[in-house]
Order: sequence, then structure tokens, then C-alpha cells
Amino acid sequence: MLAEFRENIYHCLKCGACRIAYPEYTPICPSGERFGFDSYYAIGRMEIARAVLEGRLEPGEKMAHRVFTCTSCGACEEQCRPAVGNRPLKVIEELKADLVEKGFVPANLRNFLKNVHLYGNPYQAPREKGGEWALGSGVKEYRGEEYLLYVGSEGSFDPRGQKIALALAGILQKAGVSFGILGSRENCDGNEVNRIGERGLFEALAEENIRIFKELGVKKVVTLSPHAYNTFKNDYPGLGADFGVVHYTQLIRELIAGGKLVPKKSPAARVTFHDPCFLGRHNQDYQSAREVLGAVPGLELVEMERTRRNSFCCSGGGGNCYADLLGGGGDRNPARIRVREAYGTGARVLATACPACAVMLGDAPAAEGLEGLIEIRDVAEILLEAL
Amino acid sequence: MTAQAADLYKELVDILGEENISSEQADLIPYMKDSYTALMRKAIPFPDFVVMPGSTGEVQGIIRLANKYRIPVYPRSFGVNIAGSAVPYAGGLVLDLKRMNRILEINEDTMTAFIEPGVSWGQLRKEARKKRLDIIPIGGPYDTSPVGNFLLTNITPYSTRYPADRAVTLEAVLPNGEIIRTGSQATRTGAELNPYFRYAYGPDITGLFRGSLGNYGIITRLMIRLRPLAEVEKNVYYAFDSLEPAVEAMKSVERLEITRYSMLSNRHLSLRIAAHPDELRDAARRDAIMAGLPEYQLVVGLGGKSRQVELYEEMVAEEIIPRGGREAGFDDATRAVMDEMTEGASQKVLRMFAPYAGFAAVIGCVPAARAKDLNAAIRETVKKYGLKDALSGQPLEPELIVIPYDRCSTVYVEHEILYDPLDSEGVQLVNNCLRECYARLVMNYGAVHTMPNRSLLRVVLPSYAELLTGIKKMVDPNGIMMPGGPYTLEEQLKAEVQGG
Repeated sequence: MLAEFRENIYHCLKCGACRIAYPEYTPICPSGERFGFDSYYAIGRMEIARAVLEGRLEPGEKMAHRVFTCTSCGACEEQCRPAVGNRPLKVIEELKADLVEKGFVPANLRNFLKNVHLYGNPYQAPREKGGEWALGSGVKEYRGEEYLLYVGSEGSFDPRGQKIALALAGILQKAGVSFGILGSRENCDGNEVNRIGERGLFEALAEENIRIFKELGVKKVVTLSPHAYNTFKNDYPGLGADFGVVHYTQLIRELIAGGKLVPKKSPAARVTFHDPCFLGRHNQDYQSAREVLGAVPGLELVEMERTRRNSFCCSGGGGNCYADLLGGGGDRNPARIRVREAYGTGARVLATACPACAVMLGDAPAAEGLEGLIEIRDVAEILLEAL
Repeated sequence: MTAQAADLYKELVDILGEENISSEQADLIPYMKDSYTALMRKAIPFPDFVVMPGSTGEVQGIIRLANKYRIPVYPRSFGVNIAGSAVPYAGGLVLDLKRMNRILEINEDTMTAFIEPGVSWGQLRKEARKKRLDIIPIGGPYDTSPVGNFLLTNITPYSTRYPADRAVTLEAVLPNGEIIRTGSQATRTGAELNPYFRYAYGPDITGLFRGSLGNYGIITRLMIRLRPLAEVEKNVYYAFDSLEPAVEAMKSVERLEITRYSMLSNRHLSLRIAAHPDELRDAARRDAIMAGLPEYQLVVGLGGKSRQVELYEEMVAEEIIPRGGREAGFDDATRAVMDEMTEGASQKVLRMFAPYAGFAAVIGCVPAARAKDLNAAIRETVKKYGLKDALSGQPLEPELIVIPYDRCSTVYVEHEILYDPLDSEGVQLVNNCLRECYARLVMNYGAVHTMPNRSLLRVVLPSYAELLTGIKKMVDPNGIMMPGGPYTLEEQLKAEVQGG
């Protein structure tokens, strides 16, 4: 209930700290940079929440656009907490839930939710095709192996995500890790559904996934996506989950440290790393992916100005990877802003560790006129090439 | 939308494109409030449009339309205000200037930056430091703007080394739609060849814009003074048990003419800065931090070559120790926060207002010798109204900041009254208390500040008011800029003078 967040809402200073990364002094909100009006930053969304609470503003489609273009990246909260001690993202997500309940959800996100409900994935793909990405790779369905590899909807159905899933499976095979996949039994993890505020659907997804995991005796899960990692780690335990979860970069880091994987020279010479929001800000892991990249001989890792806790979101969170509410916008487009920043470091590879980020950033080099000059790659792809 | 508004919208689209104009209520509502509006006794109407120009030409086009349609205009630079000075009191157009965020030049030779109004202090600092320059410390946070929060409203610490006037020259779109340039930019050749000197032919027109809060036009470009980064820059902190010797010590240090800045504050301010808002909510933690803080704290910023700074440090100690000061000992974490705060453009300065967001400042400038009496008067008034600290429930002790102007010939005295905006009874008390504080400040001490308050307006001389309103009428014949605001310089001012 939005009313439960009344203190947070009324204690917003209107100071605008949520808009700027400190101490880099650079813009930090993807939707704000895309659309410009205060209503697209946390400072404005807090005021919208207050107006809704006080009955001064009627919920509607236009308001929903201002609210659901929030990607749940957490950058606003990262700035506000140390300065003011407030929790703007909590309020925005509660506002989303309020709008969902009242039936005001942008059409693209409605379709996303409908598809997840009907198909168990946002791609309208039949469930039985869930394991097709792995055909011919030697990857087997889970039968009590040490790890369940959870590749999620992008890994299962998006062509870009499938390539990354295959790269990761290849790495795990080379390291001799005992793992299996769910294939046709894999269901959406629900992280985005939850962030959007469709809590009933999220709980149904989570309960179904927990039931399947228990039925199969899954004890350890390794995820391709930081989004799945986030919800398995932080949301599922409250719903009865009893399995452990790691993001794949965390497992690979251990495999390298234990000598199970020995990277050789990589052709990717100068690389910069884009922190996925649900690995970094939401789960405080800024190091695993960097250590994996750092283990590749000849690879020079350079940092963008906005990095780690002040990383600039690709704009794919909060369901926007599918709904693309932040698409277009010319040079105000967040993915294009990020690719420009990456190219400015002198890097020729922009690495990430999230299939949603790879999808969102994928078209930006061409849009920026940088095709062939900078490439978007996943850490798994870079590592596999170096093995 | 009325037919007239539809026509205006169409013409605005021709200038700005649809993506930079909105009349959606969800877009308008965030511009109708700041952290001060809870204290105001008037409702703010929905503006008709919010517009985001990207250039001086677009600003000029908007202003010409505003005159054509006789519609009010309320500009905001980076969009952060805590004094109700940028909300649309009579509806109309909110001019959001944050797209105009270019730093056009940082000149190492003249130690100046040429900036647009949407540039933040933080952005300017980052670029200046690349050239071994820096902003001259400001009291406000990093996410405010040199144009809006310094030039127009006057928040900043001063020192012997850096005087108040940091604006050099500027370009503004006047309310009548004409473009003016000031100082050495005011000539056809100066804008190109020498925009770096403030004092040109006749009176100081750059200064006219200081404290004008948008009434005289929209500043689209500002040449602002920077400072050189010194080889060594250091803050020294001294503790005092009472206010009077602390002010005396600050005065004597300022008259050595060696400081980069100095600032005096009480422990209630230091507590807010040193502690995270979560720590403030924990009574035991709050008390423990408070116990380690001096009653009054004087910070002096020094800079220069290392032997210079060593000598300055000794000289400062020689002035302070005999006046009862002692070195203030902080742990490393607290010291880091204090340093960040005093260097300006800080994130931690925002903690001054947290965690309850209700914030009211009582500001007046008086000779240093009156600071103690003024402080006593404000504390007495706060006590009379029975204001309570929202955190502890104890009687409220206002946060105090004292900053020297011009070798401490005058001091800027600011008292912060913090309250919980959810406590409506408390808000009313604060409101009444504020009015009495300002009445006492103005009537008993002759205290002034560039941001006028109602008590000050009541006693402004008619001849002064005539001059200000006359200038306003000349540049804004249709009265489009900032009508109805608390600092309007025309009708309200006149009425106050006549009524007074």
C-alpha cells in the first residue's frame, strides 16, 4: 500500500540528489535523461506519489508512462540513502503496484505480463521449446546434477541471449561442472513482474518455480541473468525456497581460482565493463565479473566514469527490456549514452554479464555510428573465447 | 485546453518540438512544490505548460510568446530550490532550463568558466579541476546551480580571499524578449574578444541580477570566477564553548587576510552533518555522536605552498587560542565529512535538512558584534513557540551558521529550524515562529539579506522600492516574470510600502 510509504514520500527533500551520481557529478537516472521532465526522475515520481496519496492526481495512462519508465535500476536510492536516508525506489515500486491494481499499465508492459502469464515467458514461445537453445551442445536436462543452470527467458528464447547461454554452458562443460537445465519446464523467474508490481503473478510464478525445484531436488542454482539471481536470492526465500543461488560470474571466478579454468590470451584487448544493476547495486557484487575479465591474459580492463555503484543503467530493467518504453529518443537514449561513454574510454569491447543488458545495448553502436568500432559482448563469451 | 492555450501550444511546438513541452498534470505537479511550500499559506495552481528550451534562441522565442499571450513565466535552472522561489505562483509557463547544461569554456588565463544555467556546481567543479582550477566553495550541495542557487539567491560562504561577487559577466533574455550582455560583454567587440571583466561602462549591471530571482530576465550564460587549486589545501578546526569568543576569533583570523574561507557553526549543525540520517533516528547513537562534538566549531580553510600553509596555520592558532579556542578533534570519518562539507558542492550538506525534510531558514546579515544578540533573540523566539526537535522530542535548538563577509565587517547569520512536515500543528507553529523571528531580526537589528522577507519588505524605503519596480516595469512591461511570488519586486513591494 502506497500509504505505508507516507513518511518516505513526505520526507523527500526535493533536493534532486537522485538525479546525479556523486562524486562523479554525472547524470544517473536513465528515464530522466531520456525524457527530461522532473516527472521522469525520482524527485518527480515522489511528488506524483504524494499527489496520488492526497487525491490531487488521478491515475491514468500518461501518469503510468512516467512511473513505469523507471527501470528499477536503484541509482536514485544509491544517491539518496547516504545523503538523506530516504528510499525513493521503494516508493516508486509501490506506486507501480498501486497503478497495476487500478489497471493503469502501459500497453507494452501489459503484453509482457500477459505473455508471462500465458506462456511462462515474455516471448510468446511455447514452453516445450524452452530447451531448444541447447540442442546439439551436449547440455542435458536436470537430473540431480550439482547445479541447475537457470538461463531465463532471454537465454531460452532471445537469439542474443541464446548465444550467451551457449557460451556459459560451454565454459561449465570445459570446467567439468555437473549441471543440467530445466528446458521445457523452465518458467519466468518473475523478477521483472515483481518490480513492475504485479505481485499476484509474481507469487504464482515463484511458487511454481519453487515447487519444480523441490520436486527435482535442486540444491544449487547458477543463473545466467542477474535479474533471476536477484529474485532467487532476495525474494524467493520468503516464499519457502531452500536452494542456494549464485550468478554465473561468481561460480566462474571460483572455477578460475581453483584452477578448473585457465584462460589464455584473448583477442579482446581493451575492455570496459558495464555493471548490471541487479548484480551490482541491488546485490553489491562489483567484483566477480571484473576478476573473471582480469584473469584473461592480455585483456586490459578500463573503467567508465560511471561505474560500480554509480553505473548508468542500460534501461532494460523493470520490464523495459521487453516493453522498450525508453526506446527512441535519439542521442538521449540511455543505451546510446552508455555506449558513447564506453567508447570514450578507448575500449573496443563493452562487456556486461547480463543478457538483458546485452540486448538493450546491442543496437546502440550502430545508432551511434560506431558499428565495427565497439562491440557488445558478455563476459561468458569473452572467457569462452580465451579458454 | 482553451483555444488560446492550444494556439500557444502550437507555437511552442514550432520552437521546441513536442518532446520538450508538456501540459500533462503528472509532468506539471513536480514543479509545484519544493521543501518550503509546506510553510506557505497559498495554494500553487497548476501551470499551463512546462517547457525545456535548449538554447538562448529558444528561450527568446518562448519569452516573446509569453508576452504575446500575456502568460506568466517561472524559470528554474537546475531545478533544486528550498525557498519557494521557483514555483509557479500564477500558473503559466515553467521554464525548465536543465537541458542548457553546457560548459562553454574554462579559461585558465582568466580563471573563469562560461556556463549555461543548467550546469550544476558538481559538473563545473569536475571540469574545472581538470585544469587545476576549482569552484570557489559554496554552502549549497553539488546538485544545485551557479546561476539559480548562487547568482539569483545568494547562498555561499565568503572569505577574505574570495569576495561575494563571483559573477563576472552574463547574457540574459530580458522579459521583453531582448537579449542583454553585461560587463565587458556589453559591447559588440567585447562579447567576442573580452567577456572577462565585470565593471564596464556605467553602473554594475551584472550586480543588478544578483538576488533578482528571475524578475529581470533569464540568465542564459554566465561567466563565473574560479580559483586556482593550491599546492596544499587544508582545513583547520577549532572548538569553542560559547559563541561570542568564537565570532571574535573568526573576525581576527579573517583580518589576517589569508583564509580561503571560514565558517562557524554550532553542534546541532555539526551533528546533522556528521551523522547519517539512520544514526540520527537512533537516540543512543545520536547522543554518542553529539557528545563528541564541540558546542561551537570554527573551520578555517587555508591554501598555498606548503611553507605558506604551515605559517598560516601557526598564525591562525595565534589568533584563536588566546580567545578560548582549542583544536577540535574528530575521528577520520567525521573529519572527512566535515572537509567535504566545507569545500562546498557537497553531498553531505544535504544532511542538514534530513531526515524530516521540513526546513526553514532565518537569515540576516549584521555586524559581527551583533551575532551573539541575534542568536539569543532567535533562540528565545523558538523557545517561546515551544518548537520541538522532531528527532528527540526535546526543545528545538536551531542549527547555526555564521559566515564572514568582507574581512568579517559583516557576518551572515543563518538559523535553521527543522521540523517534520507530517506534523501539521508543528508546521503552523514553525510558520508563526518564523514570522516573529524575521520581525525581530529586521526591526531590532536592521538585518538584511538579498532574499527579502515580508518584514523586510514592510520597511523598505519608498524611493528604493520605486527604483526597483521602475526597472522591473522597464524590462518587463507586461509583468510576465515571476508574478505573485514571495519576492516579487513590483505590486507586492509597492503595496507593502504603502501599507507600512
